[in-house]
Amino acid sequence: MARMARLPIMARISIHTRKPLILLIACLLGVTAGGSSSDAAETSSSYNYSFWGETVAAPDAYEASGLYDGVSLGTGSFKAPNDLHVAKDGAIYVLDSGNNRVVILDSEFRLVRIVEAFEHDGAPDAFNNPQGLFVTDDNHLYIADTGNQRIVHLDAADKLIRIIDHPQSELLADNFQFQPARLVVDKANRIYAMATGVFDGFMEFSSDGTFTSFIGANRVTFSPSEYLWKMLSTRAQKSQMVMFTPTEFTNLDIDSDGFLYATNGQRSDNVRKLNAQGNDILRKKGYFPPEGDVRFTTTDGPTRLVDVDVTDSDMYSILDSSRGRIFTYNGDGYLMYVFGGLGNQFGEFDTPTAIDRQGDDFLVLDKALGEITLFRTTEYGRTLNEAERSYFSGDEEQAYALYEKTIDMNANLEYAYSGIGKALLRQGEYAEAMKYFKRSEDRNHYSKAFLLYRKQQMREYFPAVMTTLIALAAIVVAWRKYRNLKGRRKVSSIEQRVV
Amino acid sequence: MSRELFKYPFYLISHPFNGFWELKYELNRKASLVSAFVILFLLAITTVLQNQYSGFLVNFVNPNSLNSFMEIVYVLLPVLFWCIANWSLTTLMDGEGKFVEIFISTCFAFFPVVLIQFPWIWLSNLISLQETSFYYFFINLSTIWCVFLLFIGNMTVHQYTPSKTILTMVLSVVAIGFMAFLCLLFFSLVQQIIAFISTIYQEFVLRS
Repeated sequence: MARMARLPIMARISIHTRKPLILLIACLLGVTAGGSSSDAAETSSSYNYSFWGETVAAPDAYEASGLYDGVSLGTGSFKAPNDLHVAKDGAIYVLDSGNNRVVILDSEFRLVRIVEAFEHDGAPDAFNNPQGLFVTDDNHLYIADTGNQRIVHLDAADKLIRIIDHPQSELLADNFQFQPARLVVDKANRIYAMATGVFDGFMEFSSDGTFTSFIGANRVTFSPSEYLWKMLSTRAQKSQMVMFTPTEFTNLDIDSDGFLYATNGQRSDNVRKLNAQGNDILRKKGYFPPEGDVRFTTTDGPTRLVDVDVTDSDMYSILDSSRGRIFTYNGDGYLMYVFGGLGNQFGEFDTPTAIDRQGDDFLVLDKALGEITLFRTTEYGRTLNEAERSYFSGDEEQAYALYEKTIDMNANLEYAYSGIGKALLRQGEYAEAMKYFKRSEDRNHYSKAFLLYRKQQMREYFPAVMTTLIALAAIVVAWRKYRNLKGRRKVSSIEQRVV
Repeated sequence: MSRELFKYPFYLISHPFNGFWELKYELNRKASLVSAFVILFLLAITTVLQNQYSGFLVNFVNPNSLNSFMEIVYVLLPVLFWCIANWSLTTLMDGEGKFVEIFISTCFAFFPVVLIQFPWIWLSNLISLQETSFYYFFINLSTIWCVFLLFIGNMTVHQYTPSKTILTMVLSVVAIGFMAFLCLLFFSLVQQIIAFISTIYQEFVLRS
């Protein structure tokens, strides 16, 4: 528990030791020092980020409730498992890369069968260090058989349907080595494969296994100093340098609408939602871009994402391998909850490598320990998930009630206030809605509520205000006339006397 | 007289060339110094109120980090630094201005900021997101006006050519950077000396 809150505490310590100096810098440069980060209450172990970038306490949304390794499952221990996938019927497929097999469990973690070999042209064939797998809705199994440089497609009865190897295209170099590492399959049975050493994006294969194109390449990023060096170097020096290449993707997932969710190893802009044209359409309306931890110490470094999992209602989770945390965002990009961590305790990992959802439960695969940790929702997590679903499906009444319930459990969840505000706005409670939008720092909706509120107030008070104004004006005019009249009489009497 | 004093800033911001000239050569030094302090005070008050009471749509200040005392310091310190830097430079560069004159002209140059931004603190509570363009337009207008007045004021006080004024203003900003660095260095050293002395004291006390 203390481990998870380690980050803000460390940040606070470093501020304390250099407090006078930092205060002075703040004085001189006109910046405010740190701000007081809310201390995590003793009872809550998770956290979230406020609008101001402070770490605020949050209750646990998920709790570890089960730990499964190869021995307890009766399959012999896992050896460097790389990927896991939960099929639509709840069956769990674990890719035990080191043992070159796929272990299939049912939804209750009972062993169903182990796929170690399949029949290929009449002869038995096996995998060689496979890295990724995908299971379609009708339980067809796709395996990125990296060591054999091919993708293997088996049906629900483990019979070979197709092998995809040696993709041919003018887009590929002649000496191209096809090493698929992760893959997903869409509803039309198109395969999107992430291959090592490919910088042009994901490789898209049509349903008959022919390579069609690349999709969604990362953009090349380089710093100005790197660019300057390159400009100043000679050609011989340049040839020694590392080329500017786009970063490789680290993982991908596909949602029910066929949008690809992809992660890469960059420190920011590291989650993408790709449409059919390969454009990034991820919504980033949250307080911070959806890229894991906002505050981190320089020694720990930024988040490094290794897996992404998307579920219904546009909610998606990303797995950070540098701190072993799982961050879940809603479709707008607001951070919902964080759980996990590196360590030796129950619910912590050594080398987390893959996550997937089984209903609302999370399965986290640890590569080094060969274990699967099962996380179940708490009351808070369930309420928040349901609130998000109701909001997504447009059931504002239900969402309103659920967000209220969520806030009762976690007053720090700022974006939930906006959900309440939207319901109030629809009900015509503009002033009340404004209050809630203010709490969630939602300026867009605040402005909408404010415009309606202003109109309402104007309608209500305009007659009274206008009547008073006209009455006042009339009194002033009358008084002036009266004074002029009196003044003129005086003047005329003086004139008369002079004459 | 007091009525004159009240009206003068309005005359100065609309007729800067004559205004700064009279400020330097014709008006009572003491009276204008008092006006300058009043304007500076109003500027500080405006900043504090702005951070606290500006409309939600244009206010991006974390209320938890607000400290009125520090807000005032953030206004006074840069003005002071500017005056010192400008004075130090212009003394070496044949400027005719005295420190008091620099200070007075600087403070008067901030009058449009007070004049425009103060009413907008309250007006900003009555505008929608689309209407914030007006808010930012007026804030920018006041800033540009202020910089323009600073420029004219500096030029008049030191009897410089326009190009030389721009040069000194840029150099003053650089000098402010140097001053900030030296102050930091000084405070850091003092802090270490104090820490050193207190450690020695503790050593003595604990040994005996």
